[in-house]
Amino acid sequence: MNGCMKRTFVAGSAAVLLALSASSAFAQASAGEEGTFFIKGGTIVNPGGQRLANTNILIRNNRIVDIGPSVVAGEAKVIDATGKFVYPGMIDANTGLGLAEIGSVQTMSLRSELGDFNPHIRALVGINVESELLGVTRMSGVTSVVTSPAGGAISGQAAMINTAGWNWEDLSVMKDAGMVMTLPGSGGRGGRGGGGGGRGRGGATANPNLAADFQRFMEESKAYDDARTAGATKLDLIYEAMRPLFHREIPAIINANGEQDIRAAIAFGEKWNLRVVVQGGADSWKVRQLLADKKVPVILSSIEAAPGDSVPYDEIYAQPGLLYDAGVKFAFSTGQGSNSRHVAFHAALAEAYGLKAEGALKALTIWPAEIFGADKDIGTVEKGKLANLFITTGDPLDLRTQVSYVFIKGRDMPFDDRQTRLYLKYKGRPVTIKP
Amino acid sequence: MRIHTAAKSAGAVLLAMAIAGTGSLQAQDLAIRNATILTITRGDIQNGTILVQKGKITAVGANVTIPAGVKTIDGTGKFVMPGVIDAHSHAALENGINEGSESVTPEVQVQLRNDDPVIYRALAGGVTAALLLHGSANSIGGQARVIKMRWGMPADSMYFKGAYRIVKFALGENVTQASGTLPADQKRFPESRMGVEFVYRYWFQKAKEYDQEWIDYRAAVKTNPNVIMPRRDLRLEALCDMLHGDLKIHTHSYRADEILMLIRVADENGFKINTFQHVLEGYKVANEIAAHGAMASTFADMWAYKVEAYDASSYNMALMSERGIVVSVNSDSDERIRRLYQEAGVGVRYGNMPVNEALKMVTLNPAKQLGVDKMVGSLEPGKDGDIAVFSAHPFSPDAMVEYTIIDGKVYFDRFQAQTLRKVAGDSKGTGPGGAR
Repeated sequence: MNGCMKRTFVAGSAAVLLALSASSAFAQASAGEEGTFFIKGGTIVNPGGQRLANTNILIRNNRIVDIGPSVVAGEAKVIDATGKFVYPGMIDANTGLGLAEIGSVQTMSLRSELGDFNPHIRALVGINVESELLGVTRMSGVTSVVTSPAGGAISGQAAMINTAGWNWEDLSVMKDAGMVMTLPGSGGRGGRGGGGGGRGRGGATANPNLAADFQRFMEESKAYDDARTAGATKLDLIYEAMRPLFHREIPAIINANGEQDIRAAIAFGEKWNLRVVVQGGADSWKVRQLLADKKVPVILSSIEAAPGDSVPYDEIYAQPGLLYDAGVKFAFSTGQGSNSRHVAFHAALAEAYGLKAEGALKALTIWPAEIFGADKDIGTVEKGKLANLFITTGDPLDLRTQVSYVFIKGRDMPFDDRQTRLYLKYKGRPVTIKP
Repeated sequence: MRIHTAAKSAGAVLLAMAIAGTGSLQAQDLAIRNATILTITRGDIQNGTILVQKGKITAVGANVTIPAGVKTIDGTGKFVMPGVIDAHSHAALENGINEGSESVTPEVQVQLRNDDPVIYRALAGGVTAALLLHGSANSIGGQARVIKMRWGMPADSMYFKGAYRIVKFALGENVTQASGTLPADQKRFPESRMGVEFVYRYWFQKAKEYDQEWIDYRAAVKTNPNVIMPRRDLRLEALCDMLHGDLKIHTHSYRADEILMLIRVADENGFKINTFQHVLEGYKVANEIAAHGAMASTFADMWAYKVEAYDASSYNMALMSERGIVVSVNSDSDERIRRLYQEAGVGVRYGNMPVNEALKMVTLNPAKQLGVDKMVGSLEPGKDGDIAVFSAHPFSPDAMVEYTIIDGKVYFDRFQAQTLRKVAGDSKGTGPGGAR
């Protein structure tokens, strides 16, 4: 019934939609249908350029257990993907999804904590799996996102999550994907005056002694880590949260847009021996060789932004292409939540302005997975990985393409998101008044 | 959507922008040959040629002879469509977009400045015309300007002659919260949707009375030259223009209840809503909007940024369009105006709109809403030579604007423009935006 509804949905038959809107659209739980699935005959498109035509995928217990032209369905429910394309689920590398719902309502957008130093704050535990934003996001093919805390100097721990799940534990891919921070004195775009069209993330705090406080906090955290490594047993939950950084188990996700801020972020990482991920990266094209040499990846802030008045009109759209050619690893992000689905459009703009198609797909899938160390679970359609994928009629970056199926953690996701529910309801309204 | 004007960095050194408008306003001759031409009204033409003479399209087709000496763009592999029209922008306006001091201010008009770099960046996204609206701080705001994006020209040379006179109305959160942070004794009515409805009833009642005063006066003065002329009131005069259909109403709106409310107030008071702007829940009252004869100009998929936008849907465009409403998709943003063609494509992704219907949402349909569809919005002989040339189909991921042409004159040329690749000294890229 579920699959039937989807195919009908894509075909757009009003009468059948109407008939189904009262039943199957609401009958499915938003965490998706569990089971063993056999995706038959699609063309698998993985980042890196491999295209596997007429290939079957067997999904069991959340994961892809087999792929190949001769894999058979057995008892599995068959999803016919003949003539269609199977892509790894897209990833939005910085969002407030699950933490923030309606931006203008304070109680519905709780993404930051009080104070300057919050390494102990964990985004994962504040995630509302019933967020309507998650539904709209996943049905576009964005199957994982990074949800990040914001504000302060050290904002807290970001989480890599799937965009569907029964609770935050179930939807977690990585509970601690990285530590979000903003170095003192940064926030603008070096020498340009202003935030480069509001593209800055995080931002300065009101603390006039922030630089000194930050230095002391790092020193104390390091001293604590050294003591713990040497055998000390007394716990301090705040400093304890910093330890994975010093052990390079998680990256420091440093908000930096201006050229000098990006250089400072890289230097900070070297000073404290941290893995650095630059987040924002408005001027990263200016230091692309340095980023490539140091192997520092970039989470680009939304490229749906207006450039400054003194830079080329296409700076924001063309930057990803320059980064790709220079060998910099990067990912797209929306920074917010309601239109996380726009990462595909970001990639399309970047492709139009010079990013190779293979780079666009990498930056939507495997690269964000690698940047956060989640590539053993997500980022490609491969045997052994979580079955996070979507089936389309064509290139997901092309606006004429339709999404036919979405699988998250091996679950067949129903088109029951807020916008589709309302669509079905009002598409079914009789036309009692003819224009 | 905006209540307050974003600060513009006036006087910025626009080194990145090749000023196209160094010549005159004079209409020019131009041809584009061997391109895929998306005419909007007459189908798509493969390997077609479009000829513009003295600023007007004189021929579109597969077999068009280009007269000797006409500047010709080789359109091989390119897609040619009508210039994009943005039915909702606040770019290029001087000193604020809101006269929000009172609830009713239709006597004021927005003021154009010709040096806003957004005009250039919009051109780089294929935009050739835009409706520059008053903000949404009050129930009845000020009058708008329709412009062609003639970058480099004096402000008064940018006005789109023959366009509608348009006034902005506003409903919902922006109006009711415009004075929300002020002390109670400084707040202004209305503060609720109930109050907004009364503002319209009250002022259109006054306008009808004022109109009648003048009708009575003009009748009486024919027989009695000494009859006293009514006191002229520019505010009520503007409202009378709305009653008479001379000043078209574009109204900021979100929720279905307020959309229906304004339709009923309009019906009861004898005026028409030309276009519902934003109209995020228009899909819920599409029958009623269609019956009123109103058009709709919406966001592609902006939602959930405030409570009244929670039921916004990317399917809105398709649903309203299917019920016969003339739908456009607008920017209301200095960012989205750069890629409105992409916004139109969202209507295909969500709701499966036919591609040509989606393209209409940034061409012919906004032209209708601005009252310029006899001049622009499709590629056919007799219309203005307002054209966007893309590197690929505008909904494809390889789509980039290469030329934007107004009245046959090239106002944006990707190959002459300052680009990042040029600034970065990197011409190795092999993508569509690479070495070129």
